[in-house]
Amino acid sequence: MSRGAPSRGGSLAAERRQAYLLVAPAVAVLAAVALYPIGAALWLSLHRHIVVFHERSFLGFANYRFLLADARFWSALGHTAYFTVVAVSAELALGLPLALILHEARRGRGLLRALVLIPWAIPTVVAAKLWAWLLNPSYGLINRLLGGADINWLGHPVLALHTAIVVDAWKTTPFVAILLLAGLQGIPEDIYRAARVDGASSFRIFRSITLPLLRPALALALLFRTLDALRVFDAIYVLTEGGPANTTETLSLYAYKTLMRAGDFGYGATLSVVTFLCVALAAAALVRGLGRGWEEAR
Amino acid sequence: MRLARSLTLVLALLSAACQRGHSPGERARLVFKYQPLWGDPAPLREHLARFAAENPDLDLRVETLPNSTDLIHQFFLTALEGGDDSFDVLVADVTWIPEFARAGWIADLSDGFPPDALRAAFLPGPTDAVVLGGRTFAVPWYVDVGLLYVRTDLTPRAPRTYDELRSFARAAMERHPSLAGYLWQGRQYEGLSCNVYEAIWGHGGQAPEVGRRILLDTAAARTGLLYLHDLIASGISPPLVTSAAEEETRRVFQDGRAVFMRNWPYAWAELQAAGSPVRGRVGIAPLPSLSGQPGPGTLGGWQLAVNAHAPPERRRAAARLIAHLTSPEANLLMALAYGRNPARRATYADARLRAQAPMIADLAPLVEHARPRPVTPYYQLFTDLLQGEFSAAISGIRTPEQALARAQRQVDRLIGWAP
Repeated sequence: MSRGAPSRGGSLAAERRQAYLLVAPAVAVLAAVALYPIGAALWLSLHRHIVVFHERSFLGFANYRFLLADARFWSALGHTAYFTVVAVSAELALGLPLALILHEARRGRGLLRALVLIPWAIPTVVAAKLWAWLLNPSYGLINRLLGGADINWLGHPVLALHTAIVVDAWKTTPFVAILLLAGLQGIPEDIYRAARVDGASSFRIFRSITLPLLRPALALALLFRTLDALRVFDAIYVLTEGGPANTTETLSLYAYKTLMRAGDFGYGATLSVVTFLCVALAAAALVRGLGRGWEEAR
Repeated sequence: MRLARSLTLVLALLSAACQRGHSPGERARLVFKYQPLWGDPAPLREHLARFAAENPDLDLRVETLPNSTDLIHQFFLTALEGGDDSFDVLVADVTWIPEFARAGWIADLSDGFPPDALRAAFLPGPTDAVVLGGRTFAVPWYVDVGLLYVRTDLTPRAPRTYDELRSFARAAMERHPSLAGYLWQGRQYEGLSCNVYEAIWGHGGQAPEVGRRILLDTAAARTGLLYLHDLIASGISPPLVTSAAEEETRRVFQDGRAVFMRNWPYAWAELQAAGSPVRGRVGIAPLPSLSGQPGPGTLGGWQLAVNAHAPPERRRAAARLIAHLTSPEANLLMALAYGRNPARRATYADARLRAQAPMIADLAPLVEHARPRPVTPYYQLFTDLLQGEFSAAISGIRTPEQALARAQRQVDRLIGWAP
């Protein structure tokens, strides 16, 4: 007894050591590829660093102070938030009926699913270039179909961001639909049968059975799409490059232009850090809110 | 053992391969990197072949760059910052020279091209763009200038003042309601900056003034932006100009759907080509101004510079190639074969140019008065910031005051100016 306790403690400590040893490589890799870049960006954001002229000096928080009063930053944040809310809502609103159709379809199921996935399978840059041609005011198919309308889809300050949202929704609704389809297929058939025996209407079944049981899948789709939309870059870069008059400029685009066009690594890093914080905050809020949702669903 | 032997063999082969590149009997490689010129490549190729024949010790190679100016700048930024020495002679836009020189990417060419000699032979605008602090960093290859295209059948004469521009346009538009008045480039890109500077100069401004601080927010700048916005608001310029670059405006003008157009000289050849609906009904003129004096056009065009990372003997050969490409003969060839405006003054008086390309010869007073955009190392770094604000001001999203104040704040931070 008197020897048993310390020896058990010793073996526990040894086991713990072994556990640390075993996770050490994974932690080291994560630190190298995730923590180090974040730390480096944070450090860089405290500097004035114009890479072309090798200008580098420590500024403290001056970049962050400038950012707080930077009208272009606040517009970019506004565009990003608006884009995310509208695009993700539209994708969920369109993805759910699409998933239901795919779920109910009896004939040609495989073909239908493959067709729906096409927009998602095309690389974003290619898809955006395609849309840019379709939307061209003088030579585009869309204006031609509208009876020779003269609508400057990507050149009008109010229209441009909405056009980008439509392109994004076209591209990613299939992804949402497939996620929700997986959720639908996880709902046991017995519940539906029981509901029908009880005489529930289709709408009642949808509202009281399908929707609550689909909640985890909906939550997952919402999380994935929100985080993606907050970082949106490629589609908008190809469609408008942030124009006209920066009305479609998102946080990622602003950071990219500051880093790569203005060669201003210090402020570019500041913008990247703030973008990262926004995405991290949104992710934390969603996971918390959705975690509660998952509990309720069970 | 077998593995070790084969490894040794591979290493031996590799080192042999590496040495072949440096053997003394081999000719030195000289690489010329440039933007493709439109048109038949043969005349330039022949001109380069003459240089190759005169320099048998050199292995001259030509490599082309992408057609987009922004992409070329991004390429040089990465390549030259990374110390790339795989090319020797490079083309650079007129606004890049101060930046490249300050970054130490292009070699000082003052020995081969003394600033005084350059100033005597070349136009003043391009000379100012390449001679910095009394040293020569590049040699002008060809120049560009913003000018006004006029439909001679719709207007009594070319307008000299902004008032005349508006009233001539309005009169023609009343007679032909489907016509647009004045086309220019208002998309958010460098072409918009050129149009804005021209409007500022036309209103008597010098903006943006470059001293220790780059001063954008001036009275002339506000008036210039307001003038451009009013052109659209009053219907003289169609809404499409806010998303138009050179080609979009050129196509509309060439279809015969506009009275005036601001563009670069390249459009002339297209407008006068066989089959062009406006052929024979187009004239060129200096841009109008507030006072009626010819308004200065923005100076554009390309310069030739030497990669500072290349070893000395290749830099000397590179300077010889630049001399060959910018000779009076070469200036004439570029004008006749490619429609590029000579950077040398004397070429405009050359009888062959007057006979074969009179339009280019007529541009002499315009290129003489062409004005460079602000000559500062930071130009390419801040122009992107300005374009967004200029675009907001001309499309009426912000007032010129608001747009310029926002631009000033961003530029001050970028160049590190503190009051």
